[in-house]
Amino acid sequence: MKSEIIAKDVYLNFPIYDAQSLSIRNKIRDIGSKVVSRSKEDISGARVIEGLKNINLNLNHGDKLAILGPNGSGKTTLLKLIAGIYFPTSGEVSSRGELSCMLDIGFGFELDATGYENIILSNIIRGHTKNEIDKLLPDIAEFSGLGEFLDMPLRTYSSGMQARLAFSSAIASTPGILLIDEFFSTGDIEFSEKSKTKVLEMMDNSSILVFASHDMDLLQNICNKAILMKNGEIILSGAPKEVINFYKDTYHLR
Amino acid sequence: MNFFKNNLAVKDFIFSIKNYYSWSYLSYFDLKLKYRRTFLGPWWVVLGIAISATAMCFLWSTIFSLDWKSYLTYLFSGFIIWMWISQQIIDAPEVFSDAAQYIKAYPNNPLFYVFRHCFSSFLLFLHHIPLIILISLFVNHKIDLIVLFSLPLGLLIVFINSILFSSNIGMLAARYRDIDPLIKSLMPPMLLLTPVLWKPEMLGAYSSYVYINPFTYFVGILRNDLIGLDFDIYIWIGALVITIFQLLFFLILYSKKNKRIVFWV
Repeated sequence: MKSEIIAKDVYLNFPIYDAQSLSIRNKIRDIGSKVVSRSKEDISGARVIEGLKNINLNLNHGDKLAILGPNGSGKTTLLKLIAGIYFPTSGEVSSRGELSCMLDIGFGFELDATGYENIILSNIIRGHTKNEIDKLLPDIAEFSGLGEFLDMPLRTYSSGMQARLAFSSAIASTPGILLIDEFFSTGDIEFSEKSKTKVLEMMDNSSILVFASHDMDLLQNICNKAILMKNGEIILSGAPKEVINFYKDTYHLR
Repeated sequence: MNFFKNNLAVKDFIFSIKNYYSWSYLSYFDLKLKYRRTFLGPWWVVLGIAISATAMCFLWSTIFSLDWKSYLTYLFSGFIIWMWISQQIIDAPEVFSDAAQYIKAYPNNPLFYVFRHCFSSFLLFLHHIPLIILISLFVNHKIDLIVLFSLPLGLLIVFINSILFSSNIGMLAARYRDIDPLIKSLMPPMLLLTPVLWKPEMLGAYSSYVYINPFTYFVGILRNDLIGLDFDIYIWIGALVITIFQLLFFLILYSKKNKRIVFWV
């Protein structure tokens, strides 16, 4: 099946339910500042933050898209929109093909459950059956390199070991459309090299890749398209090299 | 018919039922995890109920001047059923906020987490049913065969209601944070207002007032046949009517607002 992602005129507003009291203060502050405020009031008067503005995307089978942009520019929000975690306030998003997301990979873990059980739990939430997981379990266990610790409760793990487990359990799925948020900083040198190799392999096998990262060299090597985001908008899209150069120039990175 | 075919609430509900494998596995695991490292496991709940019910049985049977033996089955069954139902009500406001971590990290139908939660309580209740039957046999020396029919049906009705209620209140409470403390403060007096500890006929002329209380129906459909009380068609009709109302509310609320849940939790 051919994969496809289409976003058309997408706007996404985050409702803020506890910031009403701040609005007057914010208005006074905004008078003197040149910063474009991303919070405003929607039709019903509730306070919202504009997460995404006027997003248009068209990705076809074989596309590898790099998302660039400073922190808070909407990279993760865009990934979560494509994933179907967030829904647009207006506009349309549609995708065809099996999605696999590596966004917040550490979900579904229980501190009192053992490493093995946590692998099973997190993958059951991802929609795998117990039989499928049982087949994948030896590979996952070996990849994690946690050995006998897999029989011990997660409580006893260090944060690096937890990161190893989270990463290893997340790679069980065979991706069609692969959505990845930056996370190469997991574990020690050996494991982060190993996970990088694994992710590159998954990226190669994916039908469509959407990859948010700050690793410019990596993005340039892998991707064939790029977008630069700022304040929730796509301010530039084009070939990776061009977009990366523009990004570096804008933020004086060289 | 088109309304039902395209309704998101209907779609998600059916999808969740088809996907029973995932949530039932997780529900079972939640229970297993909760009682890991305890010696008695879920029997602690039974023991807890047994201790308080026995103490209350002697106290209340004296106060009401009742035969303690027949009162024992009434109180015990009522108490165990009440524990299930009230726990569902108390947990309902948090059913989505407890799953916030998942809802924000992975695209999944939010009802999945409602099923996971409700089925876990359901399993715990199933675990206690043999105890009611044992005590009923001990006191009555027999059990009506109608139980074979009415117990599964009663369980199904209460389970479906727990899912609908958790989803409805879970959504409202995720948006309006006052609902949670409100429900938590209403539930303790509800125990006294529901015929769990006392029998409706004790109210004399006021006994018909118990039918204003929706909990009367749900406690009734599970309890009456189990402990050998007379079959009462009206409590079944009442329970069904409440189910239909909950279902309608669910269909409207969920199909309109399910995409907002991720912003509320």
